[in-house]
Amino acid sequence: MASLEHSPASPPAASDSGRLLDRLRSRSDQVIVLVLLFAIWQALSLWLGEYWVGSPWLVVTRFYAGLVDGSVLYHAYYTFAEAVIGFVLGAIPAVLLPFALRRLPIVTAVLDPFMVGGYGAPKLALAPLFILWFGIGIESKIALVAITVFFIVYFSALAGVRALDTRLVQMAQVAGANERDVARHIIFPGAVPYVFTGLRIAMPYSIGGAVVAEIISANRGLGYLVQLSAMNFDTTGVFVALIAVTLIVFICNGAVDFAERRLLRWRPASDAKLQASV
Amino acid sequence: MTTQDGALDLAESTKVKWRQYAVTAGRIGLAVLLLLAWKIGAERAGPLYVADPVLVAQRIVTGISSGELLYHIYVTLRLSVIGFAIGCFFGVALPFVLRRMPRVTNAVEPYIMASVGVPKYALVPLFILWFGIDDAPKLWLIGFLVFYPVFIAVFAGIRNVDRRLVNMARVAGASEAMISREVIWNSLLSFFMASLKIALPRAVSAAIIGEFLVGDAGLGYLIEYSRQNFDTVGVFVGIVVATALVLIINAALVWLDRRVNAWRPTERDMQI
Amino acid sequence: MSAQPLLEVRDLSKRFASRESRDASLWVIKDLSFSVRDGEFLTIIGPSGSGKTTLLNMIAQIDAASGGEVRFKSESAPINDPKSLNPGLSCRIGYVTQEDNLLPWRTTLQNVLFPLTVQGRLNDETRARAAELIRHVGLAGFENHYPHELSGGMRKRASLIRTLVYDPPVILMDEPFGALDAQTRAVLQEDLLRLWEMGRKTIVFVTHDIGEAIALGDRTLVLSRAPAKVAGEHQITIPRPRDIRGIMSHPDFGPLYQRIRAQVQ
Repeated sequence: MASLEHSPASPPAASDSGRLLDRLRSRSDQVIVLVLLFAIWQALSLWLGEYWVGSPWLVVTRFYAGLVDGSVLYHAYYTFAEAVIGFVLGAIPAVLLPFALRRLPIVTAVLDPFMVGGYGAPKLALAPLFILWFGIGIESKIALVAITVFFIVYFSALAGVRALDTRLVQMAQVAGANERDVARHIIFPGAVPYVFTGLRIAMPYSIGGAVVAEIISANRGLGYLVQLSAMNFDTTGVFVALIAVTLIVFICNGAVDFAERRLLRWRPASDAKLQASV
Repeated sequence: MTTQDGALDLAESTKVKWRQYAVTAGRIGLAVLLLLAWKIGAERAGPLYVADPVLVAQRIVTGISSGELLYHIYVTLRLSVIGFAIGCFFGVALPFVLRRMPRVTNAVEPYIMASVGVPKYALVPLFILWFGIDDAPKLWLIGFLVFYPVFIAVFAGIRNVDRRLVNMARVAGASEAMISREVIWNSLLSFFMASLKIALPRAVSAAIIGEFLVGDAGLGYLIEYSRQNFDTVGVFVGIVVATALVLIINAALVWLDRRVNAWRPTERDMQI
Repeated sequence: MSAQPLLEVRDLSKRFASRESRDASLWVIKDLSFSVRDGEFLTIIGPSGSGKTTLLNMIAQIDAASGGEVRFKSESAPINDPKSLNPGLSCRIGYVTQEDNLLPWRTTLQNVLFPLTVQGRLNDETRARAAELIRHVGLAGFENHYPHELSGGMRKRASLIRTLVYDPPVILMDEPFGALDAQTRAVLQEDLLRLWEMGRKTIVFVTHDIGEAIALGDRTLVLSRAPAKVAGEHQITIPRPRDIRGIMSHPDFGPLYQRIRAQVQ
């Protein structure tokens, strides 16, 4: 069908062993780049001194020590808790609201410019306000994360409710489904992929929001650890905290991925991943 | 028959009209309600927690007329624009360079994609340590925050270019450079615009966050300095102005996108 | 009619490496040979999946061949190595593809002018020619419309004259009217014949519609199922100018149709 498409052509020589070699070569290229990155890191550390750039080995040993004595875990626990609690508090109303408003188009239209404004507003800039209101503890971070997550997920869920296939609804009504059946069996499953797109996008923001608030003002958490180490000119400590934060991001992304795969087994492989990583 | 249809149409259109009035009235009502809630909230919670909207408005007016507020806006915008330009340049140039080097692309891609996961704001203390307390750390932050969405969009855009259009252009005698400019660039323009909608407001927000942490001017500095001095009105002024600034930029980008992508079939996106 | 063919396909072969099975890769085309005279309208007919598009892609040098060669004016071009392909063989082989492949961000006129622009041949004379072609196919008044604002038939016309406008000596056409309704299709076939009779280009026209192959061509080749080979060759003796809509009532049509259908499995 695709007439001008480059066909998956292979010159006569190409065979299966050739393809295997290709894959092997690309893997080894990737390993070489990884080694190169560590070499550059090590070289920078030697050249500029451990004071400016902690060496990879030092960072690894410090990270390990932090895990063993629990200091890294202590801070990671707070950041993780802030992100997850805020995420849940923001996401739940954001998912429910579009469903509640489905039968009220006028209310949705009234809310629209306010929601667009809320979505576009720089929520992280609100961090000082939340610190003013809720203090430097965990509450201000949770509030910041929740409000950030809310607007992202709201629009994804709204898109899901709107993208609903009216033919499916009619089909269900013809088949004798009532309003509640339609909501439960057609609208909700149809919107789930959209909700997950929103959750995927929101997840890194929730951790980022918690960390920003911690850097600005806190007495614990990984953001605080980054800031504290930087104040003490301890770059190794900064690196350790950064690695811990990044690990949390990966774990949370993995959790969302896992939940999505479990809930959406009926769907073909998702291509939403790339968008979500923006 | 026709008269009946006409009557129906009329009824339908008046219904639509009424609906529009209701929506407009509702929006105005809600805006008033929110302002009222702010006002009442200020009285209930006390001036330390919520600044009185009237005082905020007054402060904005005096700030603008004295030029002080304008100066803060200028500082923030200048920083955002420079950082944005840096991030955007690398975000666009790198995919075009990588396009010609499939082997290198394949080798570095997993690491670039993994680095997306690093929370960039957490790097600020490190940047301050390395690059001092002038504009440099903030520019690194803004540059990184802008680079990623632009790079990912342009990279994906180049991958998704319709091979058939490229082949058509080749058959018609176009050189590689012409294909880059004509087919590839135009194909990814909508991806690029979508990434700008994310990146430009983000650049402003990043400048503000950067100013929270380091610097002696700009909207972020204004907000954080006011907070530390328990000047709640100042905090609110900064936040109101920053929000307005970002929303104006958003609106301008939506408008620009419509102009640039006029050739696209009418879009149904929700402008979020 | 010169003795030397303008375009010659010799022992052309193409195979795709099979992904799943490890055994013999799939030959789509094997040792296919034919030639086209200057000014000839050759139609090629074959069942779907017989590698017709692949054949044209190799002649246009978009795809590499697994064996054999394609000679243009007796010069042989290397087409066995994907890296040394010369798509469109320096603008001398035009290609009207199955999809219109119009650039969505260019208007009708800009699309038609696209080859001239990239070839650096945009001048008053070529512009006038483009305007004339646009008029000829009934696109006047739609010059400033974007592709998505045109109907399927109009897009096809635009893609057709985009190739005609730069006047390549050979034009390949890959079921260009395949996706259209019968009425639009007949009109476009008439348009094509009219344009062809003005310039008498060399055309290689691929289709799976026997009636279309007879109505348009001087000669028809029938391809077999994969691996494609020439299963039959027919001179179309119906005189020109032809009446497309009435062609079925021509006495030669019926027998030709029967004979070709017997060969197309």
